[in-house]
Amino acid sequence: MPGPIGPDRVRTVAEPALTVPGVDGVEVLFVHEWVGLTRFASSAIHQSSWQEDTGIRVRVVKGGRIGVAASNDLSEQGARRMAESAREMAEVVAPDPLFPGLAPPQPFPQSDRFDQATASTTPDDRAEGVAALIAECGRGLVASGAFETGASEVAVLNSEGQFCWAPSTQASVTTVVTADEGGSGFAETFASSLAELDPGAVGRRAATKAATSRRPIDLEPGRYPVVLEPAAVSTLVGFLAWIGFGGRLLAEERSCFSGKQGQQVAQRAITIYDDATSPDTIGLPFDFEGTPRRRVDLIRDGVFIDGVYDRRTARQAGTETTGHALPPPNPEGPFPLNLFMKPGEASVEDMIASIDRGLLVTRFHYSNVVHPLESTITGMTRDGTFLVESGEVTRPVKNFRFTQSILEALGSASMVGRDTELASEFFFSASRVPALKVDSFHFTGRSDH
Amino acid sequence: MMLHVAKEAVEAARAAGAGYADARFVHEDSESITVRNQEMEGIDRATSEGVGVRVLVDGYWGFAATARPEGAEIARTAGLAVEIARAAARLPREPVKLTEVDPATGTWASPFRDDPFNVSLEEKVALLMEATRRMQEVEGLAFAEGGIDLYRVRTSFASSEGSAIEQTVLHSGAGLDATAISGGELQRRSYPNSFRGHIAAAGWEHIAKLGLIEEAERTATEAVELLSATDCPSEVTTLVLDSGQMELQVHESIGHAVELDRVLGMEESYAGSSFVSPGDRGKLRYASDLVSITADATIPGGLGSFGWDDEGVPAQRVPIIVEGTFQDFISSRETAGAIGGTSTGAMRADGWGNLPLIRMTNINIEPGEGSLADIIGDTKDGMFMATNQSWSIDDKRVNFQFGCEIAWRIKGGKLTQMYRNPNYTGITTEFWRSCDAVGGREDWTLWGTPNCGKGQPAQTARVGHGTAPARFRNVQVGVR
Repeated sequence: MPGPIGPDRVRTVAEPALTVPGVDGVEVLFVHEWVGLTRFASSAIHQSSWQEDTGIRVRVVKGGRIGVAASNDLSEQGARRMAESAREMAEVVAPDPLFPGLAPPQPFPQSDRFDQATASTTPDDRAEGVAALIAECGRGLVASGAFETGASEVAVLNSEGQFCWAPSTQASVTTVVTADEGGSGFAETFASSLAELDPGAVGRRAATKAATSRRPIDLEPGRYPVVLEPAAVSTLVGFLAWIGFGGRLLAEERSCFSGKQGQQVAQRAITIYDDATSPDTIGLPFDFEGTPRRRVDLIRDGVFIDGVYDRRTARQAGTETTGHALPPPNPEGPFPLNLFMKPGEASVEDMIASIDRGLLVTRFHYSNVVHPLESTITGMTRDGTFLVESGEVTRPVKNFRFTQSILEALGSASMVGRDTELASEFFFSASRVPALKVDSFHFTGRSDH
Repeated sequence: MMLHVAKEAVEAARAAGAGYADARFVHEDSESITVRNQEMEGIDRATSEGVGVRVLVDGYWGFAATARPEGAEIARTAGLAVEIARAAARLPREPVKLTEVDPATGTWASPFRDDPFNVSLEEKVALLMEATRRMQEVEGLAFAEGGIDLYRVRTSFASSEGSAIEQTVLHSGAGLDATAISGGELQRRSYPNSFRGHIAAAGWEHIAKLGLIEEAERTATEAVELLSATDCPSEVTTLVLDSGQMELQVHESIGHAVELDRVLGMEESYAGSSFVSPGDRGKLRYASDLVSITADATIPGGLGSFGWDDEGVPAQRVPIIVEGTFQDFISSRETAGAIGGTSTGAMRADGWGNLPLIRMTNINIEPGEGSLADIIGDTKDGMFMATNQSWSIDDKRVNFQFGCEIAWRIKGGKLTQMYRNPNYTGITTEFWRSCDAVGGREDWTLWGTPNCGKGQPAQTARVGHGTAPARFRNVQVGVR
């Protein structure tokens, strides 16, 4: 099994790019990653894979003009060739009037998110975990899912003298367990080390949900009070990241928070922030242009505070970078990759007990934006949707389609869960969120299962 | 080409104990340029190469890939694939059996006239600068964006059954995107289609004839006009879709639903499964008589066209739906065997580092009769929607809801009032059975979908859809 090549070797590979002549500045993003994934369906392993790759991405600046080239060629000439290619592009384009310069040398917080055992996980280790998960599925239950372990080392260095390097690992188990007569259940666990995972517990949780969701009934769409489990809440928070929290969206008035700074946008119990430095998440201590990441309060006590910024959008907005740049050229601007929703005091049982007639939603599926400025999205429920009557879960129901403004939902969030879960999102990304009770959630259609 | 590397990997896998092995050496080049309001948003080039080795050991799959396909690393990677397959045997299952296929040897390349990688950067940037300049001349427009995307993939494939194939595909595309913002509304119009325009298996000649400069002003004008349009009303009505939105409709509610790996539960935990089952072949009334769907990997210009798939199965033209009745799936050697058929040749991998999955080739609706204007002219009352903006569909491909960029009321065969934020929803088979008009060849376009996601680890495929405008009855529009 491979390991990190380390900061000294990274410098050896990447530094030839920094000395390409005839330019004003050069930045190199170095990513070395290896991922093993054991995928299962019909309670057997059907696809297993392993991949190792190393990429360098070079951004060259010449007279305010920018070019970017990338390759996985690690030969002696590889980085230098990329720099020359990027220079060629920079020479034919117009200057970027907002280019703020490359990140200056600055310290970044050291992270301890590399676990050798996770980086060295074998196919047998993952197969053993899958077997433990499937063993929790009783008669009539069938498990599908994936057990993934991976590691990476990421470095950013530039001609200003900045050098950041950090290794990290991550491991996850996800499963959907299906039952006869239409039952389906979902569970997931996600951490920076293998030791934190309990595949058997994931299997038990999904199996229980699948067994209790057999024979779902038809229910009329409409507005219902809902209990959203953390996986469903992570969809709402993740979409706010896409359509709201990015500094470029805000600077260009394309965000659902545009013009709402300092305004109440959600119930007082709702606080959302981004914090890559927290021990309760995964991720890098610096962004992809070499700026240290820092905690940013996005919504505090229901009030929208501000978004996240990289160097360019910070200049555009007249503020400072928060360390949220994505890899160049990145036309979409900065992005929060480590979101948190602050927990409250309620248990899921408390929330269910408070509902006279409503729904319990395990998770959403294939959601998409309907109206970005109104924060309206649509999607389906999946893998465990239940009717709640007189404070108790009574029957499983067939899946609903929802069409709902996220901010309106957070505006009617009356209870916040006390326990949080880490849900995987996108690349290098995760959000840690609790369950929520939302007093009015709009279901606009239904499916046949 | 690097066929010798693929052959070496196959030999190493066999020596390590694989009963069957195949390997792909892949070299990819890409170039992407984005201009916004006559300023550079991004210009980048990327190259990547490596080899992926897939093995069967006692009927269990293993796959491993490396970016350093040289020396001992090739044998180490092949050995790891075998180790992975042996670990899979820990959970007993029916051993995988591959359907027979004749070993293939040869070369194939997608046709093009002008290599876009040889066109100067100055010419490419100038095209986008001029198009965005013309868009910006329209008063009230916030953002005028133009993009060009180029991809070239060279694949050398070898298998332990004797296949030895070398292929090169070249994909080129470009498009415009106009955004207007005012009063809490954000409206967008794209040309020729949303999500980076129109991409095809072709060279620079395809981009040159798209008419980006000629269509820039109209595209921007419609985006601004949408700001003051009325929201699409909520009603059940007759719906006419342009061929661009039909691309998405076919992709989501037919293309994915007929992938045999989904049907057999192999994607259950991630993208989901399908409402279609093997017993539906020749029986399921999927659509009206007017709808015939074909998976065609042989058509020139399609993003899903190739000589052989990534299992060495020759490109085919496969009837999926014939006059409304479901006929067959898109499949692989493993999945086709599981239902007693033969592979329809739909296995493709995203680059060298991923194992091949069943992916759409070019899933096309066969042309009917008449133009879009004819269909609208034949509609007394209804709604015309154009250009996809948003998509969502459930895990069995039953309930969908799609948003478009723009709509117009049809009254007495004519387009009248413009509507903003249009969307529509339906149940897949009910919707397709309500189709009572499919446009003819004159408005049939072979579109490219460059961002089809599937699998774990996540893979992106570029797939094709030849679609014509069509009309559907009793559709719920304007979901709020």
